Formats: sequence, structure tokens, C-alpha cells
Amino acid sequence: MASIRFSNITKRWGSFVGVDNLSLDIADREFIVLLGPSGCGKTTSMRMVAGLDDPTFGDVYIGDQRVNDLEPKDRDIAMVFQSYGLYAHLSVYENIRFPLKVRGIPSTEHDAKVRAAAEMVELTEFLERKPKALSGGQRQRVALARAIVRQPNCFLMDEPLSNLDAKLRITMRAEIKHLHHRLNVTTIYVTHDQVEAMTLADRVAVMEKGRIRQLGTPTDIYNNPANLFVAGFIGSPPMNLIDGDIVEGQFRAEGVSVPLPFQGSRQGVVLGIRAEDLRLTDPAHGHFRQAVYSVELLGDATLVSQRFGSRLITARADKGFRIEMGATSAFEAMPSAYYLFDRASGDRIALPA
Amino acid sequence: MARKSSRSLSGLLAVGLGVWVILAAFPFLWMAIISVRVPVDAFSVPPQLLAPFTLENYYELWVVDQFYVKFFNSAIVTLGVLCVSLSIGCLAGYALSRYEGNLGFWLLMVALVFRALPHSTLLPGYQLAFAELGIWNRYETLIIVLVAINQPFTIWMLRSFFANIPKDLDEAALVDGCTRTGAFFRVIVPVMWPGIVTTGLFSFLLAYNDFLISSQLMNADKQTMTAALSAYINADDDAYKLMQGIAGAVSVTIPLIFLVLFFQRQLVSGLVQGAVKG
Ligand SMILES: Nc1ncnc2c1ncn2[C@@H]1O[C@H](COP(=O)(O)OP(=O)(O)O)[C@@H](O)[C@H]1O
Ligand SMILES: [Mg+2]
Repeated sequence: MASIRFSNITKRWGSFVGVDNLSLDIADREFIVLLGPSGCGKTTSMRMVAGLDDPTFGDVYIGDQRVNDLEPKDRDIAMVFQSYGLYAHLSVYENIRFPLKVRGIPSTEHDAKVRAAAEMVELTEFLERKPKALSGGQRQRVALARAIVRQPNCFLMDEPLSNLDAKLRITMRAEIKHLHHRLNVTTIYVTHDQVEAMTLADRVAVMEKGRIRQLGTPTDIYNNPANLFVAGFIGSPPMNLIDGDIVEGQFRAEGVSVPLPFQGSRQGVVLGIRAEDLRLTDPAHGHFRQAVYSVELLGDATLVSQRFGSRLITARADKGFRIEMGATSAFEAMPSAYYLFDRASGDRIALPA
Repeated sequence: MARKSSRSLSGLLAVGLGVWVILAAFPFLWMAIISVRVPVDAFSVPPQLLAPFTLENYYELWVVDQFYVKFFNSAIVTLGVLCVSLSIGCLAGYALSRYEGNLGFWLLMVALVFRALPHSTLLPGYQLAFAELGIWNRYETLIIVLVAINQPFTIWMLRSFFANIPKDLDEAALVDGCTRTGAFFRVIVPVMWPGIVTTGLFSFLLAYNDFLISSQLMNADKQTMTAALSAYINADDDAYKLMQGIAGAVSVTIPLIFLVLFFQRQLVSGLVQGAVKG
């Protein structure tokens, strides 16, 4: 078990920058999730810990040791690949046993270890099968079992659930969470799915274009997005973002005027409000007054949208709430639920207390 | 509608295949039939469907003329070529399939150019050099030349098989504790069998069927079966020799048929899918 440290890591291919001066300290036993859209450099960052890619600049540390020049096999890690990377010619049993065999662990210990790992992911009855004869979820569990059969320094998981169907993904998510709780090994987990990130992580690093845009606990990232990118990426439905200006304590945009809890003026501002912070109110009072553009029933809630210019503003109402499309409606929110961002830089503007 | 058209398609396919098989197999079948006749029966006009059976031609060829020496020559040369070109081909093909720079591409293009040259254009160069070096009429020499001719093709073919094996597999093995070499032998080679067998078959055929190089580089005592047969088949004035040549041709073909039948599973998966899925 060990901590992991990225120290000013840059990865370039020619002039293309895949990872841009990334620094990140991961504590021993921490579950950290690298979250970001496809192509933002998550996999590359993880591969540099594994030793499958070499950083162009910067150092990777596992524990106190700089591992840049170590072969993957000498880094004592275990990895779950997005496509699982199972050995097609070996049975499930031999797949799980493979790391023990090549690392020269005494063969008397193999059977117990393989069975314990298989048990943990409920694969015991499939041990004799070839990977070909397994479903996606079972293959995924073989990959997991192969990772946990040893006690490595750390686990690296690259979108392990992305090839599974929605239902199985939820089950396996819980399974991974449970495994981490039980084994307590430092884990780096890569995903583009914010729900996975929120549910699994001790801390989330939200990445964009090779950089970390925010690092924090899931709650932190959700409640205090540091910039427009994080605000727009986290949350479902995404945060409502409205371009406008502040004029003497009023946020003004086309058809909208929202009083802010402070005086002052500022050009080029984005107002953000989460859908669940908006509530429907009497059309005489609300700040967002518009005909209802769409109503979506989710089962556990009802989403009501208005349209301002090209933007939709969505409020999350009670599951029993009903309204006709086209009816007049009004939304409002508590001032404490407002987020303000600078449009040019994307940075959060602190609200005066 | 769809079913009807697919039925007429498969009918067409069956007829096409039938015609092709008859056309392709007829010369060989006829050869096999007349190889067990005496010359008068074999070349009678009009051809006879039935004639007395004799193994005389085979006896003369294999026992009296000691054709088994040529068989051993063929075996040594073919196995030599197979081993050398598959070993080099696997290593080079694997490296090239995993190498990302464009040097690899140019290497492959140059290899293709050499492969495209007619073999006969290479011979004059060899003849002089080998005579100078005094390595004329040796198995090693023939093996080296055949490997050199065949290697570009072997590398190309194996490279595309390796390229079909996902990189994840090597990387999983590396992370699990293998060295590069270990990963190659433990997880890549085992799923490469169809590719190795298919490529191996082509190498085998090249060496086994080679006539030009063997007949030029080797004296009669070390010639392969294919090269040695020409002496029989070109003897137009001697019908008995010609009949032995025909028996020889049948003997040379039979191992090939068994070879293909024996490896048919790997060959089919190698030729059809060209890939190994995990
Ligand atoms: N071997 C490579 N050569 C060139 N570009 C690459 C290579 N590997 C990844 N990239 C690029 O680097 C960026 C980050 O890739 P990756 O880390 O795989 O993203 P993701 O966040 O989706 O996992 C992508 O734009 C990708 O195209
Ligand atoms: Mg990725």
C-alpha cells in the first residue's frame, strides 16, 4: 500500500499535449476518481502510473520512490483495463492465477488465493470456463479478480464499467465500492460518468484538456464548483447557466431580471442555478417567467423547462407536479443557491457574504 | 423474398464451386489415375477409364532411383526455411505491429519491393557471390536464399495478425508482472496459432514448391523433390521416365493434401477472420 504522487507531469506526442503539467497527491488507501469528458487525458495519466506510458516531463512517485524508470512489473500495481484484457487462451481460473504465476509466488499458495479472489467477485462457479463463454459482466469480474488476487500497492481502473449495460453497471459499482472498503488499497479510477465519480470517490479530480480543473470531495465539487466547466459537467440535469450582466445588484439577461443579495455592477457574468434549487412559484413573483417549454416525467421527479433565447432553464419539481406545456410558469430560487461565474475566464465569482 | 434470393444465391454458389473443384482437381486426379498404369495404357488414345493396375512406376522412382534422398533434401530445406522464417517473422512482425513510428512503415515498404522482384533477377547475383564464397550446393545456402526471398511476405502477414491482437493484452501481461519477452511468449503467441500456422503454410509451400532456386543452386545429389522431378518430366523420349515423373508428382502432392487437412481448423480461422478475438 502506498501513496501516489504526480509531480508536474506533462505528456506530449509531437506538439499535441495529452496531459498538461498535472500535479496530484493521492493519499494511502484513498479512492480517487479522474473524471472528465473523453479525450481529456484520464487514461494517459493512469497509464503513466502503470508505466505503460512515459511522461515527457515530470515525475511519478509511488510511496517515496520515483518510479519513472521502473518497468510496469516492478511497480507492484494491478490494473483493470477498459476492454478487460483477458487472456483468451486461459480459463478463468488461470486468468486469475496469472499474476501469481509470473511473479513467482509459491505455487502452494495459488489455489487458496485464486479461490478467495473468485469468491469475492462471485465467480466461483465459472472458474473452468474460457473468457469467450462469459457475459460482459462476468468478464469484468474476472478482470477485477485478477487485480485483487495479489495485494498490490495500488489499483488502477480504466472505465471498468463502461462496457456494461445500465443495470449491471449499478450492481458492479456497488461491488467495487464494497471491495475498496474491504481491501483498503489506494485506487485510481478513471471514468467519464459523473454518477460513478460521485458514488465511488473519496476525492474527485475533474479534468479538462489535460488539466485538473477542480480537486475535491464529491460534495465539494457538487456544492462548490470552482469554474464553469465543473459546474456544467457535474449534475444531472446539468446546472442552468445564463449569460448576462450585473447592473446595480440585479442580474440581467434577455427576459430575466434577478435581484442579487449585494450591490454593484459587472459585465460578462454567468449565473448558475441547479435545477433542484429552482422551484415553481406564482407567475406574479418569479424571476424566470416564461411559457412552459417542456415537461419531463422522471418518476422520482418532474422536470419543467423554460426557454430563454437558445438556452433551456430547467427546474426539478416534485414527482406529483403536473403542468401543461405552453402554460405560463415562473421559477425562483433562494439567493444562497446562486452561483456566479466570470464569463471570460470561467472562474467562480465569490458572492459577498 | 429474401429467402428465395438467398436460396438461388446458394444454388449459384454450389454450381460455381462444383465447376471450380472439378477444373482444379481434374489434372491431379487424372495424374493419380495414370500413375498406376504402364505407359501404353496411360497414354492411349482415346483415354481409357479402366486399365490394369501397377505400382511399377513408384517402385522404379523411390527404390531404384532412390528418390527418398530427394525427399530428405526437401524435408531438410523446407523445415529449415519454415523454422528460420517463422522465428524472424514472428519477432519482426510483433515488433512492427507494436511500434508506432513511421520507420516501421518504410521498412515494410522496402520489404514489399524486394518481395515483388522476380526471383530470377536475384539469381545471377547469388551465383557469383556463392561461387566465390565456396558455399555452392549446400543446404544452408538454399535455406538462406529461400528465407531471404520469403521473409518480407512472412513479416507482412504476421504483422497484420499481431496487429489484430489488442495491445491491452500485452499491457495486461506487463502489469501482471511479465517482461516484454515474457508477455510475448505467455499471452501473445498462444492466441497467435492460427496466424502462425497460416503463415507457416505459405512459407512451407514456397520452400517445398520452389523449383528455380533449388535447381540452380544445388547439384543433383542435394536437389529437392520439386527440382529433381523436372529431370523426369522433361525426358520426352522416354515414356518410362515420364511415368516415374508422374508418380513423383503424385507423391509430392499427397503430403500437401494431408498438411492442409490436418491444419484445416487453424487455416480457416487464420484465413477467414484474420484475427483472434478475446
Ligand atoms: N499514443 C498516442 N498518440 C497520440 N495521441 C494520443 C495517444 N494516446 C492518446 N492520445 C491523445 O491524448 C488525448 C488523451 O487521451 P486519453 O488519456 O486516452 O483520454 P481519456 O480521458 O479519454 O482517457 C486524446 O486526445 C488522445 O487522442
Ligand atoms: Mg480513456
